[in-house]
Amino acid sequence: MSANLDVAAANAPGSNLGIAIRRGLTDGAGVVAILYIILFALYALWDPSALTVSGVTNLSNNAAPLAIAAAGESLVVISKGFDLSVAGIVSLSNVLMATYPVEGPGGALVSLMICLGVGGAIGALNGLLVAVLRLQSIAATLGTMIMGQGLALVIMDAPGGTIADWVSYTLTDVLFGIIPISGLIMLAVVALWLVFRRTDTCMGIFAVGADETAASLSGISVVRARFTAFVGAGLLYGLAGFMLSVQTATGNPSAGTPFLMLAFAAVALGGVSLTGGRGSLVGAVIGAATLMLLQKVLFSGGVSSFYTGIFQGAVMVLAIVFGSVISRLASTGARA
Amino acid sequence: MTSARPSAALQPPADTRRIGRIRSETISTAAIFALAIILILASRFVSPALGSWDQVDTIITLASFLIVVAFGQGLVILVGGLDLSIASMITLGGVLATTWNSSFGSEWVVIPAVLILCACIGALNAVGVIWLSIPPFIMTMAMGIIVASAALGYTSGTPRGASPEAFLALMKGSVGPVSAVLIFVVIFALLARALQSATAFGRRLYAVGANREAARIAGVATWRPIMAAYAISAVCAGFAGMMLVGYANGATLRMGDSYLLPSIASVVIGGSSILGGRGSFAATVGGAILLTTLGTVISALGMDQGWRTVIEGAIIVGALLLLREDLIARLRNRSAG
Repeated sequence: MSANLDVAAANAPGSNLGIAIRRGLTDGAGVVAILYIILFALYALWDPSALTVSGVTNLSNNAAPLAIAAAGESLVVISKGFDLSVAGIVSLSNVLMATYPVEGPGGALVSLMICLGVGGAIGALNGLLVAVLRLQSIAATLGTMIMGQGLALVIMDAPGGTIADWVSYTLTDVLFGIIPISGLIMLAVVALWLVFRRTDTCMGIFAVGADETAASLSGISVVRARFTAFVGAGLLYGLAGFMLSVQTATGNPSAGTPFLMLAFAAVALGGVSLTGGRGSLVGAVIGAATLMLLQKVLFSGGVSSFYTGIFQGAVMVLAIVFGSVISRLASTGARA
Repeated sequence: MTSARPSAALQPPADTRRIGRIRSETISTAAIFALAIILILASRFVSPALGSWDQVDTIITLASFLIVVAFGQGLVILVGGLDLSIASMITLGGVLATTWNSSFGSEWVVIPAVLILCACIGALNAVGVIWLSIPPFIMTMAMGIIVASAALGYTSGTPRGASPEAFLALMKGSVGPVSAVLIFVVIFALLARALQSATAFGRRLYAVGANREAARIAGVATWRPIMAAYAISAVCAGFAGMMLVGYANGATLRMGDSYLLPSIASVVIGGSSILGGRGSFAATVGGAILLTTLGTVISALGMDQGWRTVIEGAIIVGALLLLREDLIARLRNRSAG
């Protein structure tokens, strides 16, 4: 059902909002949002400070790096690829920021540009290897991930350094006493996606992910679509590295390693099809937020730290099963 | 990366695909072994001590874990899946082999018990993938997290106990001048290759991986080969964990971590499609040996770990570029006239 919707959307560029909303529900973004709300209710029940401004800010700061990284990963996954370089780019941006801290708002901008530049460059390299030279994405990005991690080690061989104070204080703060700035940045990424979603290039990414041969026969440039997906993903990983540095306020050459698996988990939890062509960046962002919230819920629920993994794994599997049942129900409902 | 099959399907009826595939696989297997050998020879420039028979022996010993794990990973990839639980399964195999070794009397009870438990966990992965339609990526990752957490809780953070004697003998012993593990690797590779390429079971794996729906219509009970692939992968990982324990004479809780990505890389560098249905184990063995050689040679370079890591990544990309499908196809076409 949702595959049909995608085709319909691809045929009529700029199709209406109703389809987008219904796709959100049937594709799992809505489902994972419901899961998030349930978990949040549990969290608030066990730890009432969750409802305060600082509680919400904490959650938002925690979720932002992974959410933005997962947003980038979703672009590549939608184009039917895997991008492992996220671990390398996040580490590299993090150590660059910790080695060359620049103070003040101008400094923050410079740091941000460096992170985006690094991400964009590695993303372009991935795009070259996968889109142009046609290497298998999982293998090519494994190579670039290892290179990125190596460069991070060259720049900083042990954890250390500090992020500029202005960056780590201001960007973890709240605006007007109520809106977390990290939340605004996530919203900005989502807003960019909603605009990008309507462009021909993005349609191309969906079409290539769904059926490469059909897409190329109908005149879509497969190379351009794939390349754009990888560059966009690289830029977002750079931003994720920036936000991680903001939060940790220190450098670590292996800071990005945990992002590798978690980004894919977030993407899948957010209803993006790992076989390409289906899903939404919004789902991936909510999926990431859910994963980070889950850790807090388990902690506040008093689960022994030895066994949190068992719950995390079980919740991931249950969420996916739950999501596919809901979307099956929703799509049969829509058909009837 | 998906272009090969659709374009083959578009070709006119003259059906040379099967012959073509075998030839291109032979060429890519030869190419990957050639790369590994060149790398070993070239390592003499780095250090004269390298490139000797002893070093080859060491590389095969170090590669043996990866070869065993990559066989299972390759089968799962062949049926269109991916097994991310193997890091934890390696750890589980190692931890249980050492912990139970002292408490169950004979190790010939312990070893099969651990392997059967691994097979059950692998089958559980398959249950999630086949009947609950959970993406393999997520099912096996979640299983990996669960198993890692269980191993952590079971050992309270510190695994104890020594390796079973059998694995000490396998990893440290020798038969005349040849180390036991070298003989084991050769026998394992031959049997594994035969299972994958020369049995009805192997052909079902390819059929299910290439097109599950077509295989089902052709009368294959598709759940069986898929479940077998996941179970074999878990058993291989558990076995590799015990080999590691025999090699290091003790288990750690993160001992499997450094084998997950290399296991996927070996399979893919060997030219198998990550999407399933295509690949050969001989090339995967080549990929595992190439990666291990690379690691050994690079660690002999007197450089910072950072630069060594950069070079490792660059050589992986370089090897992928050299082993590209269209290059090999061009080579084949030329040799075919």
